[in-house]
Amino acid sequence: MKRADIGVGIGLIILSAWVFWYANPYREKEIYIYGPNFFPQVLSILMGICGVILIIRAARGDVLPQTDRIDIRGFLRMVIAIGICIGYLFLMQVIGFTMGTSVFLFVLMTFLGQQGLMIRTMSSIAASVIVWAIFRYFLVIPLPTGMFEFTF
Amino acid sequence: MDFDLLYHAFGTVMLNPANFFFVFVGITAGIIVGALPGLTATMGCALLIPFTFGLPPVQGLLMLLGIFCGGIYGGSISGILIRTPGTPSAAATLLDGYPLSQKGLAGKAIGMATVASFLGGTTGALIMTFLSPQIARIGLRFGPPEFFALAIFGLGMIITISGRSLLKGIISGLFGLLITTIGFDPLSGVPRFTFGSQNLLGGVTFIPALIGLFGYAQVFRNIEKILILPTVKSKVENILPKLKEIRASLKTIMKSALMGTFIGSIPGTGCDIAAFVAYGEAKRSSKHPEKFGTGILEGVAAPEAGNNAATGGAMIPMLTLGVPGDAVTAVLLGALTIHGLQPGPILFRDHLDVIYPIFAGMIMAQFILLTVGLAGARVFARMINVDRKILTPIIFFLCVVGSYAMRFSFFDVGLSLIIGVIAYFMEYYGYPCSPILLALILGPMAEQNLRRSLIISHGDPLIFFNRPISAAFIVVAIFVIVTSYYRIQKAMQREAQMGAEEEEGD
Repeated sequence: MKRADIGVGIGLIILSAWVFWYANPYREKEIYIYGPNFFPQVLSILMGICGVILIIRAARGDVLPQTDRIDIRGFLRMVIAIGICIGYLFLMQVIGFTMGTSVFLFVLMTFLGQQGLMIRTMSSIAASVIVWAIFRYFLVIPLPTGMFEFTF
Repeated sequence: MDFDLLYHAFGTVMLNPANFFFVFVGITAGIIVGALPGLTATMGCALLIPFTFGLPPVQGLLMLLGIFCGGIYGGSISGILIRTPGTPSAAATLLDGYPLSQKGLAGKAIGMATVASFLGGTTGALIMTFLSPQIARIGLRFGPPEFFALAIFGLGMIITISGRSLLKGIISGLFGLLITTIGFDPLSGVPRFTFGSQNLLGGVTFIPALIGLFGYAQVFRNIEKILILPTVKSKVENILPKLKEIRASLKTIMKSALMGTFIGSIPGTGCDIAAFVAYGEAKRSSKHPEKFGTGILEGVAAPEAGNNAATGGAMIPMLTLGVPGDAVTAVLLGALTIHGLQPGPILFRDHLDVIYPIFAGMIMAQFILLTVGLAGARVFARMINVDRKILTPIIFFLCVVGSYAMRFSFFDVGLSLIIGVIAYFMEYYGYPCSPILLALILGPMAEQNLRRSLIISHGDPLIFFNRPISAAFIVVAIFVIVTSYYRIQKAMQREAQMGAEEEEGD
C-alpha cells in the first residue's frame, strides 16, 4: 500500500498542476474575477496539497493495511468481460437490441462457466425480451433496432 | 389549515376506487422503475406525464405522486440486493444494505427499508400537510451563501462515511468535484475540459457516473471473484423486522425523517442529500459508529427514512412557491402546469380542491407502499438466490441499458465503463466511492453559489459568516469534520492495540 499511496500522491500532484495550467485560459473568457477558472484552480490546489500529505504519510509508514488484493486471473477475466461488452455494443447496432443482448448474455454466461445450455439460453432470451418489452410498451423508450427491418 | 377540507379530501381520495387504483399503479410502477438501475423516479414521472393527459388532474397527479414515492423507495431494493442503487437517493442505503444481503439477510434489510420508508414518508407527508407554509418561509431566506454553506455541510458529511481514511475520503470528494467542472460553466456558459468533444458539453451525466461507480465496479469485482465467492442464500422468511428491531431503530428513523423533510423542503436539494445527511448523522451519533458499513439495520433505516421523508419536504416549496424541491418535483411542477394549474400561493387560494387531495394522496401512498413493499419483498429477495453466473451478466446488461437510457448515448455507456474501472481500482486501495457520488450531487451547487456569493460581497469571504444560517452550517460542518477525525484516529488506535494484543497472545 505504501508504494500505491506514493504513486497516487505523485499522480495527484501532476493532475493538479495540469488542471491549474489548463484552466488558466478560462480566466480571460469572463468579466468577473471569479470566472470559469476559479473553482477548478481552487480544487487543483487542494488536490495538490492532499497529494503532498499522502506522500509524506506514506514515506513515514502511516498507511492503511491492504485488506484485499487483486487476483490476476480474475482481473484478466474482468478485462475479457469488458471486451465482450464492447463487442456487444457494436453488435447491438447491427442486429438490434434483443438479439444482440441475447448473444451477449449467452456468451458472457458461458465465459463465466455457467453450466446447462438450456438455462443459459432461456435466461438470456428471457432477460433481453423482458427488458425490451418494458422499454417498448411501458416506458416507450426506443432501443437500437439494428440494420435489418425485422430486428428489434 | 382547514381540517374540514382535509377530512373531505381523505374521503374523496380513499373511498373512490379509481383514485386508489391510480395511486396503486403509480406506487407499483415507481418501485419497478426505481429498482432498475438507471431508470429513476424522475424518468418514470417524465415518461408517464403524457398518460395523465386524459385523466382528471387529481388522478393524474396521484399516479405521479405514487411513482415519486415508489421510485425513491424502489432504489433501495437493487441497492440492497446487487449493490447498485436504482436511484441516487438509495446510494446511502447500500452501505449497510448490501453487507446485510451478503450475510443472507436481504429480506430483512428490504423489510426494514420498507418500514423506514413508510414511517419516513408518512412523517414527511404529515409535515407537508400541516406545516408547508411555515417551512417554505425558512427556505425563502436562503441566498447563495446559505446554499454554498449547505453544500459544505453536505460535503463535510463525506468524512463520516469515508471509511477508514479521512485523507482518502477528501481526495475522493475533490476528484468528484473536479469531475463536475467538465462541461458548460454554469454561470458563464464557457465550455471547460471538453477537449473538443460535443458529448462532454453537458458534463458527466449523473446517472452513468452513478452506475459506473456502484454498478460496473461491483460487476467487475463479482467477475473477478466469481470462482471463489460463496453462494449466498437469502433468508426470505425474515421479511418483517422484529418489533424490537424496529423499536431499536425508531429514534433514528424519526430523527432521519425530520431531517429529511427539512432538507427536502430546501429548493435545489433533494432525496439523495437527505439520505446521506441522515446516514451520516445516524453514524455520528451512534454508540457504535464502527458498525455502520458492516451490515446493520439502523444503517438501512436512517437513509430510507430520510429520503422518503424528503419526498414530502420536496413538495412543500413546489406547491407553496412554485420552486421545485428536486428533479422529480420539477417534473411534477410541469405536470401541474400542463393541467392548467399554477403552483404557488395562488394554487392555495384558488385550488384547494387539488391541494388537499394531494395531501391526502401522499399519506395514502405511504400505506400502499408499505403493503406492496412487504408483500413483494420475498419476490425481490429471491433474486439473490439466483446463480451468480446468471445474475452477474444480467446485472452487467442492466448497467449498460441504464447508462444508455438517460440520453440514448453509447458515449455515456463508454464513460460509465471507464468510471467503473477507476472505481474498481479505487476500492482496492482504500479510496471510497461514496464521496465522489456526493460531490457529483453537491459540486454544481457549491461552485455556483460560492462564486455568486463572492461576486455579491466583492471578494469578501466573511459573507459566509455574517449570515447566521450560513455560519451555522459552516460551524456544524467543521465540528463534524473535527469529531470524525478524532473518532477515526481512536478507532485505528484501538485496532492497532487489539492487533498487538493478539500477536502477544500467539
